[in-house]
Amino acid sequence: MKLRKMLSLIFAMMLLAAACGDDGESSDTTADAGSDTTADAGSDTTAAAVDAPPSAESLDIDTVLAADLDNCAEAPSGDPIKVGMAMDFSEVVGFVDIPGSKLVPYVAELINCAGGVNGAPVEVQVADVGGDAAQAAIAAQELLDWGAHFLIGPPFADFALPILQTTGGQVPLFVAASTEPTLADAAANSYLVSFDDTLMSTAAANWALDQGITRAIVFTEGEGIPYSGYNPDVFAQAFTDGGGEVVSTQTYVWGVDTDFSSQVNEIAGIADGTEVVFSAALAEQVTALRGQLEGQGLNDLTYIGTDALDATGLAFVENNEGIAHTPHVSISPGDRNDTLLANYEAAKGEALESRGFMALYVDSMFLGIQAIVDCGCVDPAEIGEAVQNISGFQGLSGEITYAGTGGIPPKSVPINRIVDGEDVLVDTK
Amino acid sequence: MTELLQNLIDGLGRGSIYALLALGIAVIFGVMHLLNFAHGELITISGYAAYAMFQADFSWYVVAPAIVLVSIAASLVIEWVAFSRVRGASDFTLLLTSFGIHFLVSSVFILYVSASKKQFPRPGWVTNTFAVGDLSIEVFDAVVIGVTLVTLLATVALLQRTMFGLALRGAAEDFDTARLMGVKSNSVIRGAFALSGFLAGIAGIFWLMRAGNTAPSAGISPMLSGVIAALIGGMGSMRGAVLGGFVLGLAEVMLRSRLPDGIAPLTDGVVFLMIALLFIFRPQGLITVARAERV
Repeated sequence: MKLRKMLSLIFAMMLLAAACGDDGESSDTTADAGSDTTADAGSDTTAAAVDAPPSAESLDIDTVLAADLDNCAEAPSGDPIKVGMAMDFSEVVGFVDIPGSKLVPYVAELINCAGGVNGAPVEVQVADVGGDAAQAAIAAQELLDWGAHFLIGPPFADFALPILQTTGGQVPLFVAASTEPTLADAAANSYLVSFDDTLMSTAAANWALDQGITRAIVFTEGEGIPYSGYNPDVFAQAFTDGGGEVVSTQTYVWGVDTDFSSQVNEIAGIADGTEVVFSAALAEQVTALRGQLEGQGLNDLTYIGTDALDATGLAFVENNEGIAHTPHVSISPGDRNDTLLANYEAAKGEALESRGFMALYVDSMFLGIQAIVDCGCVDPAEIGEAVQNISGFQGLSGEITYAGTGGIPPKSVPINRIVDGEDVLVDTK
Repeated sequence: MTELLQNLIDGLGRGSIYALLALGIAVIFGVMHLLNFAHGELITISGYAAYAMFQADFSWYVVAPAIVLVSIAASLVIEWVAFSRVRGASDFTLLLTSFGIHFLVSSVFILYVSASKKQFPRPGWVTNTFAVGDLSIEVFDAVVIGVTLVTLLATVALLQRTMFGLALRGAAEDFDTARLMGVKSNSVIRGAFALSGFLAGIAGIFWLMRAGNTAPSAGISPMLSGVIAALIGGMGSMRGAVLGGFVLGLAEVMLRSRLPDGIAPLTDGVVFLMIALLFIFRPQGLITVARAERV
């Protein structure tokens, strides 16, 4: 009887724990301001000319990343710069939003440790959108009530659009991990930090053509469907425009299917083994498809996918040799991204589950801070105007320019490929 | 003709897994009148157990039987911790409890493990094929169909030739009368959950072999397939559940292969439309069950 009661109690506690973790309450992850010793945080707070060289008053990222949390500069004491993160901790995009919401507060710690931004500390607050559109709006409102100067939001329109409706375009929103072009609208103060789907899949098509491949097999979830359908649409168009031919278009369910028997049977009757296979599928889907195609004797196909492959750990799945993809950052041992991630692991005692996407989250914060530095203002609407004038910002994920764009930075697209088990940069488009 | 036969084999392979899942759901529905939406969580839990074992360098030879054992254990624990508390409650309460278990398990894995998918290796033979005439048959499909047939035969033997089977069938027919005849409700219900867990475990092995990963919501897709197959067959009918599984698997493969390119992305929608039409003209499913009120 006691055992039953104990198990019931444990069950009730588990229910409570699960409920607490999913109730959308924001968690204050304010980064601690650094302590003692002296160091200059950087430049003054005067507003910069719109087209001034960014180097004149830009955030010194290298100084921030070099900050030693055990030996900080004098703690900044000005009014804090408030960074709101509306992140999705559910399974939908938690695989990037959760690590992103851990890394950004850590970088804020580094900023504060380096003396803050012109003497102002950076505070970060995270609110969970819980995989729910209504909760996304609530999370955004909580962050606005807190006084966020700008927001970092989750990918996917399901969650980003309710946040935009809540902000009413009055507060800049950086949709950190999204490539969806429809989410970028400078007029609504919404910005991508990465290249968009159009650029990404065009780059993939051009890379395939550069390899001398003229035949393509395209997997889509349906014409016009955001991401899973739009990327194949763009790839097919660019590949055809470049002189190639799409010999087969197959459908599948994105994120779900791992049995491609019926598609593979059809392809086996069409393919001659020289084709490139393109999809926006996840790593485990592409490797499952590849296994089934190889089971039919199609061993020499070339595979290229989107940033979804990096997001879902292509480098760590089996049967990945030779597969190409378009990550946001090609991380090399010892570079800035690698060093930051290693320092995070050393400081926090855990490795982040995502690597390639993390630069986008950190850049989101850097861009918001840069806009504040540029305009010397704290009014979110003015900050938004300053964001729109950012040009040539050298972030962790590459050069970012918003001036003259609709909110999509024209970035170069790395093409990575698994070679001898290593995920290496083979081209840039 | 060759393509049709090819689709038939692919469909039977997929349908075999659905049949095992549907049978597990039908067994529970038979004795408790519970449409168990937590059934897929047995695969989620087994998947994480498999992931943990692969991290410890165990092979599929060890992991596969462990998946079955974990699934049985998880099924019994869920019954003990949750369903036994609401035994005798309304069908709606039971249904909500099963939803609660589903969300609880997902949330626990998101909170305490990760929202990311956890990858593990697929067996090398999963994508191997062999030729029979013009047909190219996946070894995986052949193994799934074979194992499913053996499992179904063993289940039939269990239900037809043992006292437990007799009690289970009696309880499914009329639980009150079965209890009056001396059938112990606790034993029958726990036995049903163990059998359901066993069937989910067998299905889980193949589901996880194909997927090569697990995630907090890994159980949703198999659960939905199992529930739909059980509904197609006729809720409460074990034969119907198996039939429904094969029908669903064949329908998915045939439609994906034969629908015109323009509407091929709507394969799942067409499958659901056909199911809706089935329920309009035959709401009881393919097999009619004479049903008494359960406890």
